Amino acid sequence: MLLKISGLSARVAGKEILKGINLEVKAGEVHAIMGPNGSGKSTLAQVLAGREDYEVTGGSVTFEGRDLLALPAEERARAGLFLGFQYPVEIPGVNNVYLLKAALNAKRKAAGEPEVDAYEFLALIKQKMKLMQMSETFLTRGVNEGFSGGEKKRNEVLQMLVLEPKLAILDETDSGLDIDALKVVSMGVNSLRDPKRAVVLVTHYQRLLDYIVPDQVHVLSAGRILKSGDRSLALELERRGYDWVVESQVA
Amino acid sequence: MIAPQPHAPSAVQQAALRSFEAQWLERQSASKRLDRSPAGDPLSALREEAMARFLRLGLPTTRDESWRYTNLRRLSAQSFIDAPKESVAAAGSWDLGERLATVHMVNGFAMPPTFARLNSNDILINNLRDLSRIDPDLVARLLPPLSDAEGARFALLNTALFTDGLYIKVCGKLAAPLVILHTATAQDPGAIAYPRVIVDAAPGSKATIIEHHVQRGEWTPLCNSVTQLALGQDAEIEHYRIFATGSGCTHIDSLDVRQQRASRCRQFTIALGGVLVRASLDAHLNEPGACLESFSLLVGHEERHVDCVNVVTHRAANTRSRQTARAIASGASRVIVNSKVVVEAGAVQAESQQSCRGLLLSDSAEIDSRPQLEIHADEVKCAHGATTGRLDPEMLFYMLSRGLDRGTAQSLLVYAFLADVLTGMSLSAARASIEDSLIAQLPDSQLLRRFR
Repeated sequence: MLLKISGLSARVAGKEILKGINLEVKAGEVHAIMGPNGSGKSTLAQVLAGREDYEVTGGSVTFEGRDLLALPAEERARAGLFLGFQYPVEIPGVNNVYLLKAALNAKRKAAGEPEVDAYEFLALIKQKMKLMQMSETFLTRGVNEGFSGGEKKRNEVLQMLVLEPKLAILDETDSGLDIDALKVVSMGVNSLRDPKRAVVLVTHYQRLLDYIVPDQVHVLSAGRILKSGDRSLALELERRGYDWVVESQVA
Repeated sequence: MIAPQPHAPSAVQQAALRSFEAQWLERQSASKRLDRSPAGDPLSALREEAMARFLRLGLPTTRDESWRYTNLRRLSAQSFIDAPKESVAAAGSWDLGERLATVHMVNGFAMPPTFARLNSNDILINNLRDLSRIDPDLVARLLPPLSDAEGARFALLNTALFTDGLYIKVCGKLAAPLVILHTATAQDPGAIAYPRVIVDAAPGSKATIIEHHVQRGEWTPLCNSVTQLALGQDAEIEHYRIFATGSGCTHIDSLDVRQQRASRCRQFTIALGGVLVRASLDAHLNEPGACLESFSLLVGHEERHVDCVNVVTHRAANTRSRQTARAIASGASRVIVNSKVVVEAGAVQAESQQSCRGLLLSDSAEIDSRPQLEIHADEVKCAHGATTGRLDPEMLFYMLSRGLDRGTAQSLLVYAFLADVLTGMSLSAARASIEDSLIAQLPDSQLLRRFR
C-alpha cells in the first residue's frame, strides 16, 4: 500500500474540517476525490502535504509504511509526495528554475544521490517544458510571477514531471483551464502514470476525468468520504449532482 | 498645556554644544593667526551664520518630527574634539570593479597625492581646504542655502565646521566610476569628523560616484558628513553611499540633491554597518523633466539603529521620482524608513512612487515605515505603499512542499525580498561586493551565497 489514511480528522482555525477520512491508494492507481465546495478536499490535500497550521486531531496516515504525519513537509516531499497547489503562490525574486533545481537536488540528496549536473538539468527541464507547451521565457522568471492561472497550473505539472513523485496529489489542477490547456495538463499527468506511482486528483468536475481516467472515484462531503466507486460514479455525479449522494446517505 | 518651545537647546545638550562652539572658536583663532581676515569673505560669513543658527537651534530631539525614533540624548551629553587628520593606510576597500580612481578621505580630510593627475577635460577634483582659500566665493556659491529645518541640523553644523573635503566638477561623460573611500579612525572615543563632498555635474555630463564608508582601528569619530549633488541640465549621476563601518560607529550623513532641467539621478543608500546610521536625502527637483530614483537597502543587525529619511520636493512641472526602500531587521535592531514627497504648487504632471517594504527576522527587531505625501498641485500622479511583516508563510510552505529545507527556503525569500534594490544597480562589481557584505549579516548566510 502506497498511501493509507485511517480515520483522519483535522482542524483549521479551530474548526473541524476533516471528520474521519479513510482512503487507501495502491501504486499504479489514479484516484479522484470529488465533492462540493467546502467539503474538505483542499484541506485533505494540504494536511497530507504537511501544512503546519492545519491541526491533525485524530487518525493516522502511512506512506509506504512510514508515519507520514510525523514528517515535516520538506521530508514528505523528499520521500516522494507532491502537492500540486490549487492556488500556486507567486514568489517574486526567486527564480522558477532555481527553485526546481533546488527541489530536485534536495530529493537526490535525501536519496543519497549526487547533485544534478547543470547541463543535464537544463536539458531535462527543456524537454518537460516542451511537453507542457511552455515558452522558454518561464526559465528566467520568478516562481509563478505574473503567470496567468493556466500558466501556474502548467508550472505545477512541470514541477511534478521533473520531481517524479511516487504520489502526486493534484488539487484542482483543472480549474481555470481552457480545453486546450486541460488536454496539455492531462497529457502531462498521464505521462507520469506507471505501476510504481499513484495520482490523487482533487476536482470539482467530471470533465478532467475524460482525459485522466481514474481507477476509483470518492465523494467527499462535510469532512467524510460518503461514497466510493469506479469511473461511472463521476458520470452519475455529473448527471445527478452532489445532493444525490448526500441525500442517499441520510436516507 | 504649554507647548514646549521649539528649537531651544536643552540643558542636557550643553556638553555637546559647548564642544562644538569650542571647535568653532579654535577655527576662528587659527585663521586669525594666519592673518586671514574674514571681512568680505562670503564663505566666512556663511559659516558664521550657520554656526550661530546651529547654536541657537541645538541638536534635534525626539520632539522633532523627523527625529521621533532616534534619540540623541547620549550623544548630546558628550563632548567632542576634532578627529585627527592623519594619513593612514587605506582600510581594505571592496572590489568595486573597474574605476576611474579611488580618492581617499580620512576623517573628512582629502589625502595626498594631489588630484592633478586625475584631472582631465571630463573631471576636475580639488580639495575644499585649498579651494576655500583660493576661491571662497566659489565655495560659498556651491553650498546650499542654510536651513533651520530639523532634518538639516547636522548639515548646518557641518557647514560651519568642515575644514576639508572634496570638490568634484564633472564636465564630460566618465567611462568608469569614481570611488571615494571614506576612512573613519580615532585614537579614542569622543572625536567628530565633518566630511564634505560637493559634486557639481555640468550640463550634459555623466558620472557614477561611489562613497564607501569604512573604518580603521578600534575607535571611530562621530561622522557628520554632508554630500551635495548638483545636476545641471541633462546631467546624469548615479550615486552610491555605502555605510560599512564597524559596530561602534555613529554616522549622520546628509545628502542634498539639486536637479536642473531633464537631469537624471539614481541614488543608492546602503546601510550595512555602524551602530547608529542616520541617512537623510533631501532632493529638489527644481526644473521641468528632472528625474530622481532612490533605492535604499537598510539592514538592521544586532543592536544597529538605522534611520533613513528621504524628502523629495517636486518644484517644477513634469518631474518624476521613484523611491524604493527595503528594510530588513534581525537581532535587536531597529530600522526607520521615513519617506516624504512634496509636490509644490505649479509642479503639474509630477509623478512620484514610493515603495517601502520591511522584513522582520526576529521578535525583538523593529521596523517603522512612514511614507508621506504633501501635494499642492493639480494633475499629479502619486502612489505610495508600505508593508512590513515576516516571511510569507504561504511562500515558505510552497518551497517546503517542494523539498527545500527550511533554512534554504528562508534564505531564498530574504534574498528575493532585496531583489528590487539589488537589480537596480547598474554596476555588477559593486553589486557583488554589496551582496557579499549584506549576505554575511543575514541568517543562513552560507546558503545564500549559493544563490548568486
